[in-house]
Amino acid sequence: MASLPQQAAADTLGAKIGRGVLYAALILFAAFYILPMLVMLATSVKDIEEIRAGSLLALPQAITFEAWGYAWNEACIGVECTGLAPYFMNSVLMVIPSVFLSSLFGALNGYALTKWRFPGANVIFGLLLFGSFIPFQVVLLPMSQTLGFLGLASSVPGLVLVHSVYGIAFTTLFFRNYYVSLPDDLVKAATIDGAGFFTIFWRIILPLSPSIIVVTVIWQFTQIWNDFLFGASFTSGGAQPVTVALNNLVNTTTGVKLYNVDMAAAIIAALPTLLVYIIAGRYFVRGLTAGSVKG
Amino acid sequence: MANLEVRNVRKSFGDTHVLKGISLDLDGGEFLVLLGPSGCGKSTLLNMIAGLDSITDGEIVIDGRVVNAVHPKNRDIAMVFQSYALYPNMTVKKNIAFGLEMRGVPAEERERLISRTAELLQIDHLLGRKPAQLSGGQRQRVAMGRALVRDPKIFLFDEPLSNLDAKLRVDMRTEIKKLHARLGTTIVYVTHDQIEAMTLATQIAVMRGGVIEQLAPPQEVYEQPANMYVGGFVGSPPMNFVPATLVEHGNGLAVRFACTSDGSAGDVDLPLADPSEDLAPWRDRKVIFGLRPEALTDYNEAEASIREHAHAFDCRVDVLEPTGADTLTYVDLGGETAIARVNPRRTTNPGETMRLMADMSHASLFDPETERRI
Repeated sequence: MASLPQQAAADTLGAKIGRGVLYAALILFAAFYILPMLVMLATSVKDIEEIRAGSLLALPQAITFEAWGYAWNEACIGVECTGLAPYFMNSVLMVIPSVFLSSLFGALNGYALTKWRFPGANVIFGLLLFGSFIPFQVVLLPMSQTLGFLGLASSVPGLVLVHSVYGIAFTTLFFRNYYVSLPDDLVKAATIDGAGFFTIFWRIILPLSPSIIVVTVIWQFTQIWNDFLFGASFTSGGAQPVTVALNNLVNTTTGVKLYNVDMAAAIIAALPTLLVYIIAGRYFVRGLTAGSVKG
Repeated sequence: MANLEVRNVRKSFGDTHVLKGISLDLDGGEFLVLLGPSGCGKSTLLNMIAGLDSITDGEIVIDGRVVNAVHPKNRDIAMVFQSYALYPNMTVKKNIAFGLEMRGVPAEERERLISRTAELLQIDHLLGRKPAQLSGGQRQRVAMGRALVRDPKIFLFDEPLSNLDAKLRVDMRTEIKKLHARLGTTIVYVTHDQIEAMTLATQIAVMRGGVIEQLAPPQEVYEQPANMYVGGFVGSPPMNFVPATLVEHGNGLAVRFACTSDGSAGDVDLPLADPSEDLAPWRDRKVIFGLRPEALTDYNEAEASIREHAHAFDCRVDVLEPTGADTLTYVDLGGETAIARVNPRRTTNPGETMRLMADMSHASLFDPETERRI
């Protein structure tokens, strides 16, 4: 990669200073972003006495996970003192089917739009694209009416429907742009071999899609898990996702404000997206830049 | 072995006419090459035969059955694509098996057919690999295996060799020819490479702008091109086109054109080998005289005496291009550059005059306006 002139340049004093400044700036930015996370983590393992006495930035003196347990099982969310656990489960039950459905339909759409070009395919793609520009707030009222009509108001399945439908615009965009680079000859060859629309999709197109599936899943998982607006608007009480429950937990004050519990709860609520990035993150970049399949 | 008939087939996208009425009739076991530059409609025609493209007008008939509305998988054809279109996620074996599997061929029968095909193409040792682990030539073989294994009525090849390097291309060309000789299946083969067309075909259809300019066996296409386009497209270097006048010469006719020799411009008359009656109306009119470079050679007394219609004339040499076997010698005939194939031991320096010999038994005459063969 590095050609000779570049290496020669790296040896001069000016280049060394430049590099030093660059690293300093990068370390500063990294610290800026990691610091809140560290403060949260530190606060969550302190007991409330220590928080009251010590400084915000001080490291914990005695590590205790009491706050975590409390946030998970006992903290009061509104009037129910159940901790985050049931709401966390709500989010899990919401995010898994929504991610699955929206990704599946996105893949099917992308496949149909690129490999089975029908009259008006571009118009439909344009409309779908437009769907990804619609702000959440615009669909709140009609969506809540629809959910009421379907009998899904204030339920996890209702949120699954909302997120699946809303996500299709994005997932279609991802899959369509990926499939556009797959050679059309593959589909032609499979057609002559005797495979139909769905057989080609399952046997040939989908097995070539892992990288874009990862991108889509990460994107959809993050979007849906972190969603607050739909959760707050379409559910109440026991059907709320963890993001809404976290908000209510923090806002439910009985006497002393338990910062350590708030922090632990916030980390718990953020943990799944964090894990998804850590596990699948490297595929994310690879999938975003991938395009051509050499066959 | 199946015969293929294309009846006045058209393809249009709105006002754009890609195919303007193509008709051809192919007997079982023939090797038809659709030859033409890119954009001439040859691949579209192939896709229509395969059923991958709809037919605007006309009929395609395979073995007496009109297949216009028949799904590709039911046409009993197989196709080899330019990009090979191997399924990247499957092993070679699964690639070959896919078509059989889709047709519900039982597993044991599949095994038998695959091993037979793999043996035929010498790809047995590759069956467990993925396409990405194969070289270009191996992928080409696998793509052919996928087509061969089903033993279809017609093979369709869409520029199958154009992604291979020059040496491999020649090897594979020979193999395709051998395969055809061995299997005897009807083949339709698309290429823009006129050498591929000449070497492989039993029939060549030279296409341009959505029409077939000439449909004939390769030697006929080469020796008697239907028009100047075909003469120029087939053959390398292409046919020489010399603006000339048809004049009376003894009992017959001759072509007369200008040519510079020994520093002075003069006219050369070359008597036609076959001054038929049809040519009478062309007397004293302008024609285009077409002559293949190998019919325009250095003068050689021994040969001139054997060949009845060989005539000598002198001309100034402009440029020399040695190719090894022959030296391509550029001369100016009738104001147009013409190329002669000259024995490398008999060349003359550029600027000097050289004695050339034209074999008039290979001459073609064209109408300068319509560019058609007279």
